[in-house]
Amino acid sequence: MNTLANSAAVAPPGRVQMLRKRYFPTPLQGLVSVVSAGLLALILWKLLNWAFLSAVFGADGSAADCRAAGGACWSVIANRWRIIFFGLYPYAEQWRSALACVAVVAMIVLSCIPSFWRPWRLAAVWIVGTAIYYILMKGGVLGLRYVGEEQWGGLALTLFIFVATCLIGFPLSIVLALLRRSNLPVISRGTGLLIDAVRSLPLLAILFAFAVVVPFMLPGWLQTGKLYRVVFGAGLFFAAYQAEIIRGGLQGVPRGQEEAAMALGIGYWHRVGKILLPQAMRNALPATINQFVIGFKETSLVIVVGFFEILASGNAAYGTGEWTFAYREVYAFIALIYFVFTYSLSRYGAYLERRMAISSR
Amino acid sequence: MADTHPTNVPAVQINGMNKFYGHFHALKNIHLTVHRGEKVVVCGPSGSGKSTMIRCINRLEEHNSGQITVLGTELNDDVASIDGIRREVGMVFQHFNLFPHMTVLENCVLAPMLVRKTPRAQAEAAAMRYLEKVRIPEQALKYPGQLSGGQQQRVAIARSLCMEPEILLFDEPTSALDPEMISEVLDVMVHLASEGRTMICVTHEMGFARRVADRVIFMDAGEIVEEADPETFFQSPSSDRTKQFLSQVLGH
Repeated sequence: MNTLANSAAVAPPGRVQMLRKRYFPTPLQGLVSVVSAGLLALILWKLLNWAFLSAVFGADGSAADCRAAGGACWSVIANRWRIIFFGLYPYAEQWRSALACVAVVAMIVLSCIPSFWRPWRLAAVWIVGTAIYYILMKGGVLGLRYVGEEQWGGLALTLFIFVATCLIGFPLSIVLALLRRSNLPVISRGTGLLIDAVRSLPLLAILFAFAVVVPFMLPGWLQTGKLYRVVFGAGLFFAAYQAEIIRGGLQGVPRGQEEAAMALGIGYWHRVGKILLPQAMRNALPATINQFVIGFKETSLVIVVGFFEILASGNAAYGTGEWTFAYREVYAFIALIYFVFTYSLSRYGAYLERRMAISSR
Repeated sequence: MADTHPTNVPAVQINGMNKFYGHFHALKNIHLTVHRGEKVVVCGPSGSGKSTMIRCINRLEEHNSGQITVLGTELNDDVASIDGIRREVGMVFQHFNLFPHMTVLENCVLAPMLVRKTPRAQAEAAAMRYLEKVRIPEQALKYPGQLSGGQQQRVAIARSLCMEPEILLFDEPTSALDPEMISEVLDVMVHLASEGRTMICVTHEMGFARRVADRVIFMDAGEIVEEADPETFFQSPSSDRTKQFLSQVLGH
């Protein structure tokens, strides 16, 4: 008996003991724990009840059914998902829009895989991916019907704006960051002024300017579609912020690194490409992922210049007579889509940090 | 050693060189000739300009007046000729400056592959040879962060050797090391000195100077104060400043 009791005393605390210690150390704290748990359970139950138990699923649920059931009305999604995903894209051609989304997502995924981080491989992935998207969406070739940019919309448009913004903004940000640390004051100050000017403007103003004002200033042969001007404006905005993030990363690389490379006779471009940027990007990784997440969410601002990206398409999805009451469901659905993308991005960032940590032990 | 330079010119020739940081006169009218194969040790109190002087030799610092000629090529603003000289002048730094995101082997093959266009297999074979020379071949696949200071400095020496430079500059290579690691680095340097390469070492290691130097240079306040063979330098220095410095360094 005695030995048993002793061995129990030296054994590590069991799960029950741990729980008691953590949640019921004093009567008052025990009370707080119980009340909090009760509140949490209530909220979860309400949510579960709304989202699943009293909800109406399926495309044949009508607005009246939903009101009777009292829970979430997922029928609105089942009926209107095409608008959320594809916007005003012609109904019969929406398979093209879907394939284009797949192409863009595949392009993002491929360029996230480290073995694709060779300049020509990345270039190949981006050129092929963008070409597939463009041909599928716009048509006019290969027997595909022509669909103008003003008819693009929904998730397909959101993905396009995000990817195009990054493809313009990220390389531009590296160029700006490098110019900013140039030895020539004209270049470094000039770049600094440009970055500060872009950062001092709200994104909305930039989008407006590129959509409405810029066409007046461009010669005829440079007139492109509004969508491309807007994407360029968003890319410029992205680049201004990302350039400062990369500059911060570059400042974190000790001066001796560049000196060592110089002493070995390594030229400027190799110093930048092989020594400085890899280390700067590692320093800048958390802030960079942050910037990409912000960039993804800011695509929703293009609604002000008349593009129906996913959020605007969502408004249209519930906005027609019969489904006006079901805005919660639509927004919950769109929030879920945003979450899937941004959460994947942040998990990918965490993976990269782990991967890079191996070489910095 | 690729002997692309005429052998009748000195390795380094510095004539009336001056260097300013703003109004601060860091190097004053420096004259120095280092011959092929010569081992020169530069010493002096901190702030005396000795690091600045050897950093001018591969143009990590720019001089403001006078001439520096390395292996017959004068240093000026011509980027191509500077890169050419840097290929022939290796440098070992106080803080090692290994590239932390690359393995030891990658550190060693990077410059030969990028600058000399050596094929990878050949560059790796050479790198392994030099890593053996600095007695650290078993660490080739580790990252610098996993090595001790002494090991990192030996890798840094191997990295410079991989470029097969004619001249090796050492900028206080043992100053950042824990005391017990100094000798492993000095041993490697002594071994290198026996191989006929031109070496210019800024160091406080007077024992090393006595053992390998053909000539010891003492600098103070941006000037070369004394220049002598080790025997004369340590036994009968002519300047009072040298005497004072030696009594401080050797005093205990």
